[in-house]
Amino acid sequence: MLQLNNVEATYSDVILALKGVSITVDEGQCVALLGANGAGKSTTLKSISGTIQSEDGEVTGGSILLDGKPIHNMEASDVVRRGLVHVMEGRRVLRHMTAEQNLIVGGHMVRNSTELNQRLEHVYKLMPRLKELRSRTAGFMSGGEQQLLLIGRAVMAQPKLIIIDEPSLGLAPLMIKDVFGVLKRLKDEGTTFLLVEQNSAAAFGIADYCYVMENGRIVLDGPADKMAENEDVKEFYLGMTSEGERKSYRDIKHYRRRKRWLG
Amino acid sequence: MDFLNYVINGALIGLLYALIAMGFVVIYRASKVFNFAQGELVILGGFIVWYTSFELGLNLWLAIPISLIASAFAGYLIERIFLTKLIGESVFSMVMVTVGLLIFLRGFILLVFGPAVRPFPIVFPLRPLFIGDLLIPMNLLIGGGITIVCAVGLSWFFNKTRPGLRMTAVAEDHVVASSMGISVKHSIAAAWIIGAVLSTMGAIIFLSGKSLTFLASDIGFAALPVALFAGLESIGGLILAGVIVGVAQGLATAYLDPIIGGSIGTVMPFIIMLGILLVRPTGLFGWRTIERV
Ligand SMILES: Nc1ncnc2c1ncn2[C@@H]1O[C@H](COP(=O)(O)OP(=O)(O)OP(=O)(O)O)[C@@H](O)[C@H]1O
Ligand SMILES: [Mg+2]
Repeated sequence: MLQLNNVEATYSDVILALKGVSITVDEGQCVALLGANGAGKSTTLKSISGTIQSEDGEVTGGSILLDGKPIHNMEASDVVRRGLVHVMEGRRVLRHMTAEQNLIVGGHMVRNSTELNQRLEHVYKLMPRLKELRSRTAGFMSGGEQQLLLIGRAVMAQPKLIIIDEPSLGLAPLMIKDVFGVLKRLKDEGTTFLLVEQNSAAAFGIADYCYVMENGRIVLDGPADKMAENEDVKEFYLGMTSEGERKSYRDIKHYRRRKRWLG
Repeated sequence: MDFLNYVINGALIGLLYALIAMGFVVIYRASKVFNFAQGELVILGGFIVWYTSFELGLNLWLAIPISLIASAFAGYLIERIFLTKLIGESVFSMVMVTVGLLIFLRGFILLVFGPAVRPFPIVFPLRPLFIGDLLIPMNLLIGGGITIVCAVGLSWFFNKTRPGLRMTAVAEDHVVASSMGISVKHSIAAAWIIGAVLSTMGAIIFLSGKSLTFLASDIGFAALPVALFAGLESIGGLILAGVIVGVAQGLATAYLDPIIGGSIGTVMPFIIMLGILLVRPTGLFGWRTIERV
């Protein structure tokens, strides 16, 4: 369904963040992309969805195919129309809009209002919490609620493929369980996933196949159950040696130098 | 009774400011372009109305709709020609472009319509409404109604309809909006169309039965403080901000000007604006108030 062949991606014409990444995601699968901070996981997702262009980046080599057709360097808004939604890192809800308005924006391509309402009901059934919060301003929701909202907003577009960046970041264990429960149900409904996750325990719980990234390259891949057993994988590639370390990384995550407005 | 008269007339003029500021806010929300040429959009609209009604000699009820459509088209063209390429550039360069746009529009109007003072059609009855001792100009009274209808309509549009929610999403975050499949370009073009139409409506209310010169663009500067006061993102807030600014201006003109012997009324909107911005940088109802990281 999704295929990355030797993808190279560059920011500002000089920073080579991906150095030949090849990933295959088959229909109905959940593929996890793991790796330490700065490995290039988010850049991979941004290259796929086209949002990399809003950060003055572009795919400078290789190809990205969705259902066999090239989508690299396509406008982000056109990629969505092909059935791929990117849930970005950083909890980017539309903060001044209500939860329900956020969801409607997700389903804005639906012209028919009965269809739109059916999709809303589907999301509310999947995440009853969102129904309770439907008229809450999204900026005032908790981190976990916002994460659910982002997933709901993506589901509203009824994508074939959801690529999602660190859904567990900053969430309490119970909330992580909820979020991954929802992802699991969506997967059972037939949605395909490419999941970036630092929390490898959560990722292994849902993934069929895993890739591990380091320094802009894929360094290891294999079926999720095999990888989960491999202690070395955790130790060396996921930087999971201590809790404290992961915490401090969160603070330096704000390097995002994004162009604020794009066309 | 004089006092009440000043208050009512000030409030109505404030609503006119609010209408002009509404065009400014719609453009700002979508594109984050701080449009210094808003007043020029008003005179451009005024000249289009003059042209269709006097030069083409069309019946007023034909001339007005045609003018509104023509200004929608003008707004679209301005966005396409001057601003599309700038999406994503620094705020400073966008401000410079709108200043350039201001100069360009003045030159353009001068070139196309000439420098002479023009008559403006009488759209609203010239005879004011008398209620006891109160004297209320009809253009401002009906115009105030139009402003309120526009504010309610646009609030509904931006909060309840799909195309409007799309534009609100663009107003919040260009990257998120485009990652949801919304065309940022189309939203910004739509904003300029709405902004130009609102400006022409403002011109009709403001100029009805008066003469049309470049001085009319000053109203754009009076509208600016209203937009900043309301908070740049809020459509509904413009009504309140407009009324406050208008009443303060009316009272200052009536009671302070004779004492100081100067134009304190003219600068009153800016004094209020500065006062508010010192206390609340986001204005009365502006965004950027939710910061939860
Ligand atoms: N907008 C940008 N401009 C320039 N360089 C960037 C930009 N975004 C990311 N980078 C660089 O690209 C590299 C990969 O970053 P990326 O965000 O893809 O890593 P990541 O694997 O998602 O890390 P994390 O786990 O911290 O989210 C890093 O070296 C980073 O500094
Ligand atoms: Mg990342």
